Amino acid sequence: MSGVLRLLGASMWRYFKLLGIQLKASLLLSMQYRADFFIDAVISLFWAATAIAPLWVVYGDKVQGKIPGWSLGEAMLVVGCFVFLQTVLDGAIQPSLQTVVEHIRKGTLDFVLLKPADAQFLVSTARFQPWKASSFLASLVIFAVAFARLGFWPSLGNWAQGALLLLLAVVLLYSLWIWVVSAAFIVVKVDNLTFLLSSVFDIGRWPSSVFRGILRWVFTFVIPTALMTTFPAKALLGVLSWAELGLAVVCTVIFAVVSRWVWLRSIRRYTSASS
Amino acid sequence: MIEVENLKKYYSVFRREPGLKNSLKALFRRHTTEVKAVDGLSFHISEGKRVGFLGPNGAGKTTTLKMLSGLLYPSGGKVLVDGHLPHKRETSFLKKIILVMGQKQQLLWDLPPLETLELNRAIYEVPMPVFRKRLGELTELLGIGPQLRTPTRQLSLGERMKCELAAGLIHGPKLLFLDEPTIGLDVSMQQTIREFIRSYNEREGATLILTSHNMDDVEALCPRILVIDKGRLLFDGSVAELVAQVKPEKRIGLRFEGSSLPENLEAYGRVISAGAGEAILQLGLGEVSEVLGQLLTRFAIKDLTVENPPLEEVMSELFSKHALTRNEEAAEFS
Repeated sequence: MSGVLRLLGASMWRYFKLLGIQLKASLLLSMQYRADFFIDAVISLFWAATAIAPLWVVYGDKVQGKIPGWSLGEAMLVVGCFVFLQTVLDGAIQPSLQTVVEHIRKGTLDFVLLKPADAQFLVSTARFQPWKASSFLASLVIFAVAFARLGFWPSLGNWAQGALLLLLAVVLLYSLWIWVVSAAFIVVKVDNLTFLLSSVFDIGRWPSSVFRGILRWVFTFVIPTALMTTFPAKALLGVLSWAELGLAVVCTVIFAVVSRWVWLRSIRRYTSASS
Repeated sequence: MIEVENLKKYYSVFRREPGLKNSLKALFRRHTTEVKAVDGLSFHISEGKRVGFLGPNGAGKTTTLKMLSGLLYPSGGKVLVDGHLPHKRETSFLKKIILVMGQKQQLLWDLPPLETLELNRAIYEVPMPVFRKRLGELTELLGIGPQLRTPTRQLSLGERMKCELAAGLIHGPKLLFLDEPTIGLDVSMQQTIREFIRSYNEREGATLILTSHNMDDVEALCPRILVIDKGRLLFDGSVAELVAQVKPEKRIGLRFEGSSLPENLEAYGRVISAGAGEAILQLGLGEVSEVLGQLLTRFAIKDLTVENPPLEEVMSELFSKHALTRNEEAAEFS
C-alpha cells in the first residue's frame, strides 16, 4: 500500500514540476510582448467591470428584488463568481485548449501523443495567459463590495464551502471545454462551437432563479451554469442546502469522468492529418 | 529490434462527387471507399541499423512510420518494436523513440528552443547531469550555441531543423524515425544534417529509419533500403542491389584531351550528355569492361569515372515496371 502511495506521490510531484515548467514558458511568452501584457491587463479589468453593468440596469435606482429571491448585493456575488470563472476560462482553459485545435489542424498533435506523459495534461497546461489575473482581482473587489452592501461577512465555513464550489465549477467548466475540443477531432474547426459555449456560459452571470421550468433544468444539468455561479454564491451566503452541495459534487464527478472518457475516445479515433 | 509481419492500414474515406447536386446528395448519403495505405508489409530491422524507406507520394511510408511509432493503430498484421506493441504507447516505449518530421515542428514558436529542451527534459525525466552533458554534445555537434537562445520564429529553416533534432535527441532515444528530415534545406545544410544523423547512429548505436524524397539522403545514409509503392514492399536490399536488379547499367563519364569529341560515340553506348570535350555514356553492366578497353585504346582520355545510374532513374524504372505488372494482373482478372 505504501509503495502505491509513494508511486502516486512521485507521479504527482512529476506532474507538478511539469506544470511549473509550462507556467514558466507561458510567463516568458507573455512577457515577450510587454505592450500586450499591459493592454490585456487593462482590457480584462474593463470586461470585469462591464460584467457588473447589467445588474444596475435590472435593479435600477433603489428598486429591490427584481430577481426573485435575490437582492442586489446577493446578485453581485453571482457576478463575482462569474467573473472569477471567466478569468479561469480566459486565462487557463481557453488558451490551452485553443492550442489543441491548432495541433489537430496542423497535425502536430503527433508530437504530444508521442510524449511519455499524459496527453490531456500536456495540452491542458500548454498555455496560460497570466495577465488575466488582473480580472481575478476584480472578482475579489466585486465580492468585497457585495458583502459591504449586504452588511455581513461569511463565516469561515461558508468561505470554505464557497471555495469548494468554485473549485467544482472550474472542473465543470474544464470538462465542458474538453467536450468542445474533442469535437475538433471530428470537425477540425470548432471556433463556432467555442463561441456558442462562451455565450451560453454568459448566462452564468444571472442567478439561476431567473429561469423557470425546462430552462432552469437545462442550465443545471445540461450546461450547468447554475452549479457554476449560483451555487457558490449561495454557499458564500450560507443558504446552500446539503442536497445542493451533494448535487454539485455528483454532477461534477460525472462531468469529469465523462469528459475524460470522451477525450480518450477522441484520441483513439484521431488519425492525424496525413503529410 | 523491429519486426513487422503482414502489416496493414486501411482508411475509409468519404468519396464526394463534384457539383452542387452531388454535394447536396452527399449531405444525406455518403459513400465511403476504402483506401489501402499499407497493404501487407513485412520486414525485420535489427538493432543499430540505418534503413531508408523510399517510394512516391502516398506510397504509405509515413503511415508505416506512424504505425511503428504508435500514432496509428494497424488494421491488421503484427508490429513489434523492441518488444513493445507501439500503439499501446507505454511510457517505457515512448522514452526509447523519437519521431522527427521535416514538415512539422515541436519547438515552441515564440520561445527560444532551449525552453522546449527544458520542457522535454522534464517530460522524459532526464537527470540534470545527463541533460547538461547531452546538451553540450548536441550544441557542439550541431553548432547551435547562439541559436538555442534565439526565439524559434527568428531562426532559419536549417537552424530550426538542427534545434528540432536537438529537442528530439535530448533524452537519448535508441530508435529514430525521421520523416523527410532534410526537406526544404539547401545542399550544404542537408549535408550537415546527414553527417550529424550518421554520427549519432554510430556513437549511440541507435536504430534509424528514414523516409525521404531526397535520393542523396538515402544513398548517403542507408546501407539498406525498402522500396514501398501502394502500401506494398517492392524491394528490400542495398542501393547497389537495387540498381543491379532493376537497371543493371553503369554510367561512364569521359573527359577527352582537347575540346572536341569523337564522332561515333553512340556506337559505344547510350549518350546521356555530350559537351566540350566531355561526355556521359550509359551501358549495360556486362559491356562495361569491354567498352572501357576500346575507349582507352582508341581515344586520348584525360579522366574517367564509372558510377551507378542516378537512383531517381532506377526508382522511376522500378515504379513503371511495377505499374505494368499490376495492370497485367488486373487484365488477367477481368
